[in-house]
Parts: sequence; C-alpha cells; structure tokens
Amino acid sequence: MTLSSLRNVPTSFLPKHLGAEPLAGAPGELWLRVTPLSFERTCHLLSRAGARFITLLATDGGRDEREPTAHGKHERGLVAALALRGHLLAVHAPRPAAEPVRYGSLGAWWPAARWAEQELVERGLAAPVGYAASRPLARPDASRLERRVEGLDVFAIPYGPVRSGIFEAIQFQIETGGENVLAVTTRPYFKHRGLERRFAGLDPDRAVHVAERIAGTASVAYACAFAQAVERALGVEPPPAAQRWRALHAELERLASHLDVIAKEAETAALYVAQARFQILKEQVMRLRAELCGSRFGRGLVVPGGVRAAGGIGPEPLLRALDLLEAEFERDSRRLLATASMTDRLLGAGRLDRELVERHCAVGPVARGSGLSIDARHERPYGEYRRVGVRVICERAGDAMARVNVRLREIRESLRIARATLDRLRRGEAALCAPLPDRASGAAFGWAEAPAGEVVVWAELREGVLANVHIASPSLRNWALFEHAFGDDVLTDFAFIEHSFGLTPAGADR
Amino acid sequence: MLAWIPRGLRMGRVTTRYPQAPEHPPPGFRGQVRVLDSSPAPAELAAICPTGAIGAGSDRRLALDRGRCILCGACVRAAPERFAFEERFETAARERRALIEPAQRAPAAAASAPARARPPLGQRARPLRRSIHVRHIDCGSDGAEEWEIQALWNPYYDIQRLGFFLTNSPRHADVLIVTGGVTEPLRAPLERTWALMGEPKALIAAGTDACSGGLAAQSGLVAGGVDRVLPVDVYVPGSPPPPVALLDGLLKAVGLLRERSAMRAARALGRSRPRRGR
Repeated sequence: MTLSSLRNVPTSFLPKHLGAEPLAGAPGELWLRVTPLSFERTCHLLSRAGARFITLLATDGGRDEREPTAHGKHERGLVAALALRGHLLAVHAPRPAAEPVRYGSLGAWWPAARWAEQELVERGLAAPVGYAASRPLARPDASRLERRVEGLDVFAIPYGPVRSGIFEAIQFQIETGGENVLAVTTRPYFKHRGLERRFAGLDPDRAVHVAERIAGTASVAYACAFAQAVERALGVEPPPAAQRWRALHAELERLASHLDVIAKEAETAALYVAQARFQILKEQVMRLRAELCGSRFGRGLVVPGGVRAAGGIGPEPLLRALDLLEAEFERDSRRLLATASMTDRLLGAGRLDRELVERHCAVGPVARGSGLSIDARHERPYGEYRRVGVRVICERAGDAMARVNVRLREIRESLRIARATLDRLRRGEAALCAPLPDRASGAAFGWAEAPAGEVVVWAELREGVLANVHIASPSLRNWALFEHAFGDDVLTDFAFIEHSFGLTPAGADR
Repeated sequence: MLAWIPRGLRMGRVTTRYPQAPEHPPPGFRGQVRVLDSSPAPAELAAICPTGAIGAGSDRRLALDRGRCILCGACVRAAPERFAFEERFETAARERRALIEPAQRAPAAAASAPARARPPLGQRARPLRRSIHVRHIDCGSDGAEEWEIQALWNPYYDIQRLGFFLTNSPRHADVLIVTGGVTEPLRAPLERTWALMGEPKALIAAGTDACSGGLAAQSGLVAGGVDRVLPVDVYVPGSPPPPVALLDGLLKAVGLLRERSAMRAARALGRSRPRRGR
C-alpha cells in the first residue's frame, strides 16, 4: 500500500488527539497506523466523530517485509475500514505472524463490528479482549435453538435454512407467543463457501469471475468493486468508455434487483397481477442484459482494466427499450401505490429508527429508508458516477413502505443515469480496456454500490497474482440489523419485512 | 383493486410456446462452451480453467466437463481455435458423463436420451394427466439460480401451463430442484428433504455449483456437487442456467417420472414390464 506523506488532503475532519498521523494510501484512502493497544481507542474516537464501520480484516503483507512493492512497504496487520466524510479510513495495527493479535474488542460496543470480528476470531487471527460470542458463526447447526425470551407460552420457530418457496438458505429463529413476534435471531453462514480464499493464486483476469459469483444477483457490482481494488492497487485507470459500460450494467442490475423486491412484496400481499406486471418488467431487463453482453446477470463483462467488450445492441434500440420500460413501470408503480391492500401491509411494518440504523452502520435502501443519506456512488464517487451526478434517494419513515418507496424512486434515478451514460457512450471513444502492469504488486480498497448497499473489496496483489482478498458485503452488515426491525409486528408481517430488506445470504456468507 | 384487471390484460400474451415452439437465445448468448478441436493438447491449456473443467479424456483427447464449466470464457479467449461459445439454452443431461464435451463415442454414454427410444419432446410435454409438483432447496448457491428458477413461474415462461406447480412441502413434491454444491450445514437438511418425498420422485441438480461444486469445489467447504450426497437424475449446468434450460431439465425429469410411475404400476400388477402406451 502507498504510505507516502500527505499533501493537499485536508485532515481537519479527523478528531483531535488520535495519536496517529494519517498517511495516504491509494486515492481516497487514509491510513492511520496504530499499535494493537490503541486500536480500539482510535476506532472509538472515530466512531464518536461519525465514522461508519465497514469491515474488519487481516492483511497479509509482503512475503518479505523489507521487500518494496509498487506503492511502498507492505505490512501484515489488522485493519478496520471506516467511512468518514467521503474518505475511506483504514486503521492499521501490526499483527504477529504466528498467533492471533490481542486488542480491545470493537464488537463489545459497536454492534456493526460483531460478526466481522467474530469471523477473525474463528479463523484464529484475532484475540480481542472483552469479546464474548454466544454461539459460533461457522458451521451453524440448523437444529439447535437458542432461546432469548423466557415465558411459558413463548415458543420458537426455526424458519429456515430450508425455506418455503424459492429462496436462499438462511435461518431465522422467531420467538413468538403466537401472533406478536417477540424476538428474531438471524443465523447466516449456512452457505459459507470460502470464496475469499479462492482468489489466491489467480491472475486478475480470472479472479474477477470469482468476484462475480460471490453474490450472484449483484455480479456486476461485486466485479466492479473488485476490479477497482485491483486498478487502484496498480495505479490503472479504465478508459471512459469502459467506465460507462460498467455504469450502464450496474444500473440495469439495480433495476432488476429493485423490480424483484417489488414483485416479491406484491406476491406476499397476494396481489398477483401486480406481481406478474413487475415480473414482466424484471424479465425484460434480464433479457436486455443478455442481449447486451451474453449473460442475463452481466457476467463476463467487467475485467480489471476495463470491460471485455462493448454492448451487443446499439444505443438507439437500447434507449427505446428503456423508454418503454419506464412508461410501463410508471403506470404499474402508480397503481401499486394506490392499492390499499398493498400499502396497508407495508405501512408501519418493520420500522427502523434512524439512530438504530446509524449505530448498526447499515447501508443501501435499508439505511436510506430510515433517512440516512448513504450511497457509495455519491459518498466516494467512482467510475462514471464522478461525471454523472447521483441523487441519493431517502425516505424518513423507516418502515417497509419507506424501503419500497426508496426502491421505486431509485428505479427512476437508475433509468436517468442509464440514459445519461448511453448519451455519453454514443459519442464515445473506442478503447475498452487499459492493460495492467506486468507482474506488479500492490494493495488497495475498491468499492461499488450494489443494489443492497455498498460493497467494499480489499485486494492484495503479489507479482501479478492475487494474494489476499477480503469482501465486505452489504448484506452481512444489514442482516445484523434485521432482528431489530420487529417492534409490534406480527408473524404475517415477517415476509414483508424480509423482502423489504432485499438482502442476499450468498453475499453475506461468501 | 379491480383496476388491475385491465392492466393485466393490456399486454396480451407474452408467454413462450416452448417446448412446442423453439426458443432462440439472443446473438452472443453464452449458453455453453463447445470443443472445436479435441486433438491432444498441452497441459498448459488445461491450467487455464479456474474450475479444472478442461482435461484429457480416456483417449487422451481434449475434453471439457460442462458440469464444471462456469462459462467464464478464459479458454475461449486463450484458444479460440479449440473452444467457442455456443448460443444454446438447452444444456440438461440425464447422466454426469453426458456433460463431457465432446460426447464420447461409447453408446452407453451417448447424448442424454435413455437407452429406450422416447417419443419426441413435444409429445412428452403434452398436458399431463398428472401434474408435477416441484420443491426447491438451496444448498449453497450464489443466488442467481434462485432468480432463474423463480422466473419459470413468471408470465414469460409460465410453466403452470405445462402442469408444473410449486409446493412448499416435500411430502407433496415429485421433483426436487437443488442449487449449490452442498455446504456441510445444509447436507442434513437436503437428505431429510429428499427422504420425506414419496416415490416416484426425481432430483434435478440446477447450476454448475450443483453439478460439481463449481468454484467452491476446491475449498473443502462444499461436497463437490449434489451427486456426492444424493443420486441425481438430471443435471442442468450453467452459471446460472437460464429459465429455458431449467425447463428443459424439468421436462427430462418428467419423462423419467412417467417411466418410474409406469414401472411402479407394472410391479404392483405383477408385470415385469410396463404396459405399452403408458
């Protein structure tokens, strides 16, 4: 990583008395090098200053710590990635090679950090002091119930990992007296496939295919975040045409995902014609994506350095298709919002206070539905979003209706961004991919706004191949918030609240 | 509420007529990889594939295992004279070795039809006397296969018109669609779900992860494909397989169910072979 002294980067937003000089990493990154002893205190000061927790990870460092990499010395460490005022802060503490690093636990006071910290503990990399976990994350036992609510007439329903309908595997332990939901415990990690370790030894060209398959419904976003991490680590800027194709596909992916959420809400409300209408819209988007790049999920398009190929259909037919889609969508969404049997189920369900969402460092429509203006495309603009401004869509109510409204309005915004991007593509240049330097080393963060929220990727390269990769999935951070969404909701509201979150267990479990 | 009725009727029919009429993939669609030249190849060519799908067959000729192929295109880019993408929806096969491309010469492993001659697909997909209930279970997929399976019941594919219904209970199910390479925590739920289903039943492994474990196969955290846990009747490779590919797989499973159902009926009546015409 680049550890050069700071020039022209204002650091007045950082709290005083941090005890560490900020150093510049790749553009947009600020590194604070601390000792394990002061790690927790630094993170606490930053969180009090309004920093948002992204992830906790272990970096590998170069094989030989004296060996220079493309950006300077590379060190094995424990890193807390935080977002503050449009910067990505990396608090770095060195860790020993042979034993877990001891430091003050973050999860003890920061709920957003609990699962990330527990993962490191279970991998034997960290030994936080003051940390207590009730049950292991890895290899969950589907038949084991933990009760949180005492009472003679309270029973626990293990909902999942085998679901009714066609859904991904995750377990919820719902404790109820019969109608009111008293407690929900979310248990992911049933689908842990160990994909982060799968990157090691692959060149960036093939490694991007692993990134695409971590969260299959957000392939483009995860691939973009990974590609950007590699590009920033090696100092490569993709050509403008490539950035536009990436943005276009990312917005089409967002469209498909949001339309899917709304179709599922309509189905749960037994509004089958509305469900069919939104399924039609979603299928049209998927077919458009297949015509553009040969894959309904936008796979095989993004590669570190740019994109592999331009679109398979011209800008004019694409614009016409988007116009038709928007016209149909407007009618359907207007009718949906006017249907009381739909809105009655969503209004007031799964209410999340703004303060709670902030404490849990949620991202995506979950956060924006509770009034937090967080969007990676706006906070740390990347790619084409630096040129096309993004309006961050917020709602204040914090209930399922607000989250659905955020998505309805984001569909319009995505269509606007897609049109603006197409416009620029029309008069665009031909270069689609910038070459990566040969056998280069480096490390950096990359990020993208997936439909569920911001995904952040850390990538370390050693002599042209990937070494250590960490994925901070928006779904993992938001799943931790799910159990708090049940206030005075009843069992039959469960499906509405779950769909309004719009998360993917595959992304969380990796 | 009533306003939804004209809205629903407005668009007319969008439903495909597949399988009575073919569905053509759009140009450039990556359906599967074909081996153009299967003469023996250097070992470096096999090392290109991130999932180890490229190898040498029993006769040392170049072979591609579609059950491992994630359609990344690394082989097509590295050796376009040997590999090419094929625009094709249907990828399903009844036997694991039928997924090895190019198809082996031995008649026992030829194509994907069983040993007995079967009536053509269109005839098999006639409205069934008995409807088929489908149950899905996720054993570690990346989430994309679920979208494609859900799409089967959307107005474009609408497989209810062919008699396929979704059920929530394994007791009620005839076909189990499994996605994902089977992670350890989901192995027991998978086995239990299968055990609860009554005969005749069929199991479809949907997606490359379910066929072989995909990218996660080397991690030690997945079983390496559903067939390491349960006997698979139909393999539908793809990353993910598009809805038409899944429908093709379902229709193959239906053919199998009819055979099994007829065999059961024959055994019940003391016959050694099913009566012709059933």
